[in-house]
Amino acid sequence: MPGKHVASATDEVCRRCKDNISVLIVRSEPLCHECFARYVHTKAIKRLESFRVNFAASVDQQRRILLPLSFGASSTTLLHILDLHLKTQKSKTGRTGFAINVLCVDEVDQVSACASRLELVRDQYPDHDYTSLPLHHVFRLIPNDSSLGALVPSSSDDDDADSKTKLFRLTASLPSASAHADVLYTLRARLIVEYAKQNACESILWGDSTTKLAEKTLAETAKGRGFSLPWQISDGPSPMGINFHYPLRDVLKKELLSYIELAQPTLTLLVHEPSPGATQASTSSKNTTIDDLMKQYFESVEENFPSIVSNVVRTTGKLEVPASSISELRCSLCSKPVPGGRFGIHGWGGDQHDGVESPSTVIYPGQLCYGCTRSLPQTRAETRIA
Amino acid sequence: MPPTPCALCHTNRALILRPKDHSKLCKTCFITVFETEIHHTITTNALFARGEKIAIGASGGKDSTVLASVLKTLNERYDYGLDLILLSIDEGIKGYRDDSLETVKRNAEQYGMELTILGYDELYGWTMDQVVEQVGKKGNCTYCGVFRRQALDRGAARLGVKHVVTGHNADDVAETVLMNLLRGDLPRLSRTTSIITSTPSASSDPASNTNIKRSKPLKYAYEKEIVLYAHHKNLDYFSTECIYSPEAFRGSARALIKNLERVRPSAILDVVRSGEDMAKLVPGSDEGCGGTCSSNRPVAEEEEGGCGSAAGRTVGGDMASVEKQLAQNETATNNDLEVEITSPRPSTKNGAVPLSNGKKAKKGITPKKTNKQVMGQCKRCGYLSSQEVCKACVLLEGLNKARPKNKIEVGYDVQELQQRDQGVDGVADAMQQTSIGGE
Ligand SMILES: [Zn+2]
Ligand SMILES: [Zn+2]
Ligand SMILES: [Zn+2]
Ligand SMILES: [Zn+2]
Repeated sequence: MPGKHVASATDEVCRRCKDNISVLIVRSEPLCHECFARYVHTKAIKRLESFRVNFAASVDQQRRILLPLSFGASSTTLLHILDLHLKTQKSKTGRTGFAINVLCVDEVDQVSACASRLELVRDQYPDHDYTSLPLHHVFRLIPNDSSLGALVPSSSDDDDADSKTKLFRLTASLPSASAHADVLYTLRARLIVEYAKQNACESILWGDSTTKLAEKTLAETAKGRGFSLPWQISDGPSPMGINFHYPLRDVLKKELLSYIELAQPTLTLLVHEPSPGATQASTSSKNTTIDDLMKQYFESVEENFPSIVSNVVRTTGKLEVPASSISELRCSLCSKPVPGGRFGIHGWGGDQHDGVESPSTVIYPGQLCYGCTRSLPQTRAETRIA
Repeated sequence: MPPTPCALCHTNRALILRPKDHSKLCKTCFITVFETEIHHTITTNALFARGEKIAIGASGGKDSTVLASVLKTLNERYDYGLDLILLSIDEGIKGYRDDSLETVKRNAEQYGMELTILGYDELYGWTMDQVVEQVGKKGNCTYCGVFRRQALDRGAARLGVKHVVTGHNADDVAETVLMNLLRGDLPRLSRTTSIITSTPSASSDPASNTNIKRSKPLKYAYEKEIVLYAHHKNLDYFSTECIYSPEAFRGSARALIKNLERVRPSAILDVVRSGEDMAKLVPGSDEGCGGTCSSNRPVAEEEEGGCGSAAGRTVGGDMASVEKQLAQNETATNNDLEVEITSPRPSTKNGAVPLSNGKKAKKGITPKKTNKQVMGQCKRCGYLSSQEVCKACVLLEGLNKARPKNKIEVGYDVQELQQRDQGVDGVADAMQQTSIGGE
């Protein structure tokens, strides 16, 4: 666990309660333990305004949300805070505003590690429903005839490969570490969305901190998915057919780490977070990904310029997709609407070849958005230079 | 191992690993494909019209030298029918431009192009050396940056040229996209991604500064390929590190771009693509076409940050001041909310804060709106500006006020300027502040 994220205690009195001695400086304010905890909680809970207890609803109309848990600092803290929040609601009103489904996606077939971690979490927060799914189930959950399946390189011997084989085939041919990370991340998101929809969850509560959202903004920009940013940063309805919420959007990553460190030791035990600077180590190697670069960058920016990090997220949140231009044409991998049907990496100014600009108006399986085409090149058969 | 054949002609030996896509090419094919791609950019964006007179902003550096060379080649090969001239700006810093201007003079001969060198003294009535003498070493970078941004347009207007091309490349555009994301400046992000920028033709005066079209034919060309092209064509350019260190936002965006390119060569182009797409999502941007349609988009004074804009400032200085400004704004907007939530001191048994008084909590949520930057014209010089008086004119006002005896002709009557109660330093400070706010 990170060690020195709690700024050395000052002698100053907490600026909020003017009572206790502060334990750390938060955005230039010295805060005591209690006020800091409240600071983090407030920031998270105020984002969940729409999930207040509805006394008019009957008990079987309980609203259900999905919380994807990666055991990292952010999603684990979010679960911790929501658990407290529901307990408070319950003690005050006798009921809760919503119920939580926790989903853990097992990316690397470490079923046992995932399962044992999930058991610890369940012991700690027993009031919620828990599920663990291996990543390859994305091919099971999403209907078989979907365009996602069309992306899997087919093999002559069997057309009915099981989902595990499909995932293996899809990822085996990826050209780089960046592509690998990107495709896994995308599939994970799709599995989560699909699971949430099939289990009657009305919203997904993502754990992303301010810092993570800023990383995502720049990483997606770098991957050529600038067009999709409004759907990846904003609270509210998403084109994936379910609501997205980012309750920790106003809390910095370093603040979450401090929170965990100051919280009961039980929380610390649940978090499996690479220590800050771990991304640093891999920069020289070929295995560095675009996500790593951005993570590393914002880890350093948030140290001295936290407001700049917040401002990146706030600014990106202002991007708007004009309702008129929301396309029905979807990317087969990430499933995001592709504006104007501009699939692939050809036929725009930066292509600089005499390719005809011909936006598709029909969907055929396997069509990818610009960013997904970079990660999963479909041009192997083509001779044109990207 | 046999030598690798060129991926295009399959005949010659491949000697060049193309930075953009890592294809292996021979020298001839590289040069051809590089030129053909720029031709493609020019034709698909309809950058030029037959018979048009084009001023190439020439600094003697690699980008503008390659631009001049390629445009000359393409103009002849494809018969664009363009009248190409070189336009250089001399800031008037003793010794600083000597070598680069010599390079430009040689280029003019090599390419058979007419060359005009315009000094800050001719354009503004002040050389940079005189500015430094007047304001001291400290604030002069503000002047140089602001003057530089307008210099090409003003120069072109003097020559009666309506179209200036600059050597901005894909790396520059990508860097600007990331920089404006980091600075939180959507309007500028939106403007700088388009290949053509142009001031609205509000004035009928042909010598007006407002009618100049600007374009960047190298917008999609990788910096590394520009260097390779210059090298393999034996171009005569002046290679020097800029004497200024970039401001921190630009510097850190530049570092990110370099790292990204290492991880995924296409990333520079991918950032440019994202920038074009995001331009369409900026509320209030009327285009809806991003950089893909070549409609006229106003160019703002500060579009080209360049490297000169922060000389003398410490690296990180601009980030620190933006941070400070943002933190203050945050405190201001959060105050209501903070008071509301902290003062009732709800039960803190387990630290959770129930949001029972829900109605007001919305205050902390930033409303979804972007201040639309309204572009107008400077009252004094007619240059496009978001302010009533453009930055150059504000600075000149300060300078000229401190030197009232010399009346200077800058295309408008300096003496008519309203005299404000601001010393030279006051003006410089004010400039600093407006640029930090990012408008
Ligand atoms: Zn306190
Ligand atoms: Zn996609
Ligand atoms: Zn060849
Ligand atoms: Zn002016």
